Amino acid sequence: MSFAAMRNASLVVVNAAMSLSNITQQGPDSGPEIFPRLVFVQGNEQRTINLDHSPFSVGRKVDKDLVIADPRVSRDHALIVSENGEFHVVDEGSKHGTFVNGERVQRKLLERNDRLEFGVRDVSYVVFNPHHATSNSAREFLSHISGIHISAATTDLEKLTLFLEAARKLNTTGVLDEILVTLVEATLKLTRAERAYVFLRNEEGHLRLAAGRNSKGEPLLDDKTISHSILDEALKSNSEFVVTDTSESLDLAGRKSIVAFDLRTVICIPLRKPQVQSAAGAAAPASTEAMGALYVDSRFASHDMSGVSNDILRVIATEAASLVENARLVQAEEAARRYQQELAIAASIQQRLMAVTIPEVPFAQLRGRNLSCKEIGGDFFDAVNTKEGLAVVLADVSGKGVSAALLASTLQGMIYSQLTGGMALTEIVAGINQFFTHKHIGEKYATLILARVRRDGELEYVNCGHVPPLLVCSQEVIRPAHGNLPVGLLADAAYQSDRCQLRPGDRLVLVTDGVTEAENARGDFFDNERLEAVAAKSESMEDIFTAVAKFCGGTPLSDDCTVVELSYTG
Amino acid sequence: MNLKIASREADGVTVISCQGRIVAGDEAAALREEIKRLLGSTKKIVLNLSGVNYIDSSGLGTLVGAYSSARSAGADIKLCGLGQRLRDVLQITKLVTVFEVYDNEALAIAAYQRGTA
Repeated sequence: MSFAAMRNASLVVVNAAMSLSNITQQGPDSGPEIFPRLVFVQGNEQRTINLDHSPFSVGRKVDKDLVIADPRVSRDHALIVSENGEFHVVDEGSKHGTFVNGERVQRKLLERNDRLEFGVRDVSYVVFNPHHATSNSAREFLSHISGIHISAATTDLEKLTLFLEAARKLNTTGVLDEILVTLVEATLKLTRAERAYVFLRNEEGHLRLAAGRNSKGEPLLDDKTISHSILDEALKSNSEFVVTDTSESLDLAGRKSIVAFDLRTVICIPLRKPQVQSAAGAAAPASTEAMGALYVDSRFASHDMSGVSNDILRVIATEAASLVENARLVQAEEAARRYQQELAIAASIQQRLMAVTIPEVPFAQLRGRNLSCKEIGGDFFDAVNTKEGLAVVLADVSGKGVSAALLASTLQGMIYSQLTGGMALTEIVAGINQFFTHKHIGEKYATLILARVRRDGELEYVNCGHVPPLLVCSQEVIRPAHGNLPVGLLADAAYQSDRCQLRPGDRLVLVTDGVTEAENARGDFFDNERLEAVAAKSESMEDIFTAVAKFCGGTPLSDDCTVVELSYTG
Repeated sequence: MNLKIASREADGVTVISCQGRIVAGDEAAALREEIKRLLGSTKKIVLNLSGVNYIDSSGLGTLVGAYSSARSAGADIKLCGLGQRLRDVLQITKLVTVFEVYDNEALAIAAYQRGTA
C-alpha cells in the first residue's frame, strides 16, 4: 500500500471511530483526568484553556491567564483557585461582578458545566470543565477511542495511524505537552516498550526532555538513565529511525548507560519537519536538523521489542513529526492572537487618550475634526483652557502605525501638562524637542502648531515645521511666514513664537498636510490655493472637508486630514 | 524596494545618487545604511536627489538623521537636484536653514572646493 493510500484508509477509520466513541461513551471520567478545562466563548469564537495552575487569574490586564479585552471587565477581575482538588471562583472586588449560572457571587465552588461570566453578560463567557465531546481535548478523546474494541483484524499499524490522525484532527487545544504525552503513550502501546520519551530542541538548539512515560503510565521526569549516545547518533544520522539491539552488537555492550541500566533494545526516531515529497515520489533528503526525537527503550528483564515492524516505526517518524509541528503552529497562532489582542487594547487606550473635550470659553469657539485614513496615524489635536487663555495644539507625527501613535500619545501628554502648568509656548516646544532628541527615538519627529488666545484677543502661536496656519480676517486670508524647525529632529534647534491681535469674527484655521496634499485621480494636490479659497468663503470647517472630498473624487485619502478652527468672538 | 542608490567619487567628493522613492521602511533604511557606510571613508558627501520622485515624512527624517550623523562625524552632506515638492517641504519645515541646497551636482561639488581653497 502506498503511503498516500494508507493515509486515506486511516482517515476513514478515524471517522468511523469518532462516531462510535460518541455512542459508546460511558461517562465523562472514562479517561484519566489531568486538569479541568475552561472553554472560553467570545462571540463566534471559542477556545479551550487548561486550568493547569492555581490561582488562575482573569481580568483585563494583559498579564492575566485569561485576558478579556472589554471595558466592563475589571483589570483584576477574579481568580480561580484550587483547594483539595476542588475549584472555586473568587471575585477580586470587580466593578461589574462575577456570575456563576447567572447569579452574582463572591466565592463559589465550581461544578462541571457551570457558566461563568466576568463583568460582560452577553458576548463572552466561560464554561467550567464541560462534559460534551466537542470540547474534549485530544488526550481525553484518545482515551475514549483507545477503549473501543477495534476488530481483531485491525493491525497495530492501523491503530497507530488512527491514534495519530485523531490527535492531529483534535490538535486545536494549543497544549503541546498534552499532544506529546498522547504521542508517548500511543508509542508505548504500539511498540510495547517499557519507557518512552520525547525530546524537543529549545531556542538555543539543545535537546530538552518534553514528556516521558513508562508502560504503567507513570510520568518520567528524568532522562539520566537513557542512552544519550544512541540519541545523539540517531539525530546525526539521516535515518528515519534507529533500532539498536544490544544483544546483537557487541561493541555497544561496553557503553556506560547500556551496561548500567541493562538496556536491551533502544529505538530512536528523530522528529524532522514534514518534507514536501519530490515529483518522483521519493522522500526528500532529510537534510534539515531534527526538531526533536522520540526515544523508547526496554531492558533485558523485559520482553523483546525487536520485532516491532519497520512500518510502524516509519509511520511514527513521519506522523509524530507533523503532529509536533502542528502543535507548535497552533501555539504560535495562539501567541499571535494574544499579541493582536494586546494591540487592540493599546489602540483603544490610544483612542481614549486622543478623545478631545473642547473647553467652553465665553470669548472663543473651537472646533476640530480628524478624518483618518486606513492606518492609525500620527495626527492629533487637543485643547485646554488655562489661566493665560484657550490653548490649542495640532500635531502630525512622522510615519504611521504603532510607533507614530506611541509618540503622539507622549507628545500630547507633555503638551497638556505643560500648558496647564502655564509654561511659555516656546519653552514647551523647546522642552519637547530636547526630550525627543535626547531620547534618540530614531528619526521620528513631529510638526506642530501650538496656539493660545487670550480673552482680549491676543494670539500667540509657535509653528514647528507645520503647514502655515490660515488667519481669516473678514474674508481675507493671511498665511504668516513665521516658522521653526519641527520638534525631535535637531537637538540645538531654537524656537520663536509669533503674536497678533484678533478682532471679533477673526478665525485661525489649522490643518495638517493631509489636507493640502490630498490627491485627486490625476495626482494633483488640493494645495494651498484651494484651501485658502474655501476658508475665505466659508464660516464652517465642514466646508473644507466637503471641498477636499469633492476635489479627490473617488481617490482614497493617503494621509490623515485634521482641521482645527478657532473663532474669536470677543 | 523602490530606491536605487549609486555612489561615486568626483573631485574628492562622494556623490550619492538616488533614484526612486525615499519612504518609510526598506528605502529609508537602505539610504541610512549607505550613508553610514560611506561616512567611514569620506567627509564630503553630495546627495543628488534629482531622480527622487517622492519623499515621505519618514524619508525626511532619514535625511536629517543622516545629516546629524555626518556632522557629528566631522563630515558634511550637501543636497542637490531637489524637486519642487521637496523644496516646499524644506521651506515649510525650515530645514532649508539646516541643509545646504544646490541646484545641481556641479555647484554642490564646487561649494566643497571653495570650502577647502
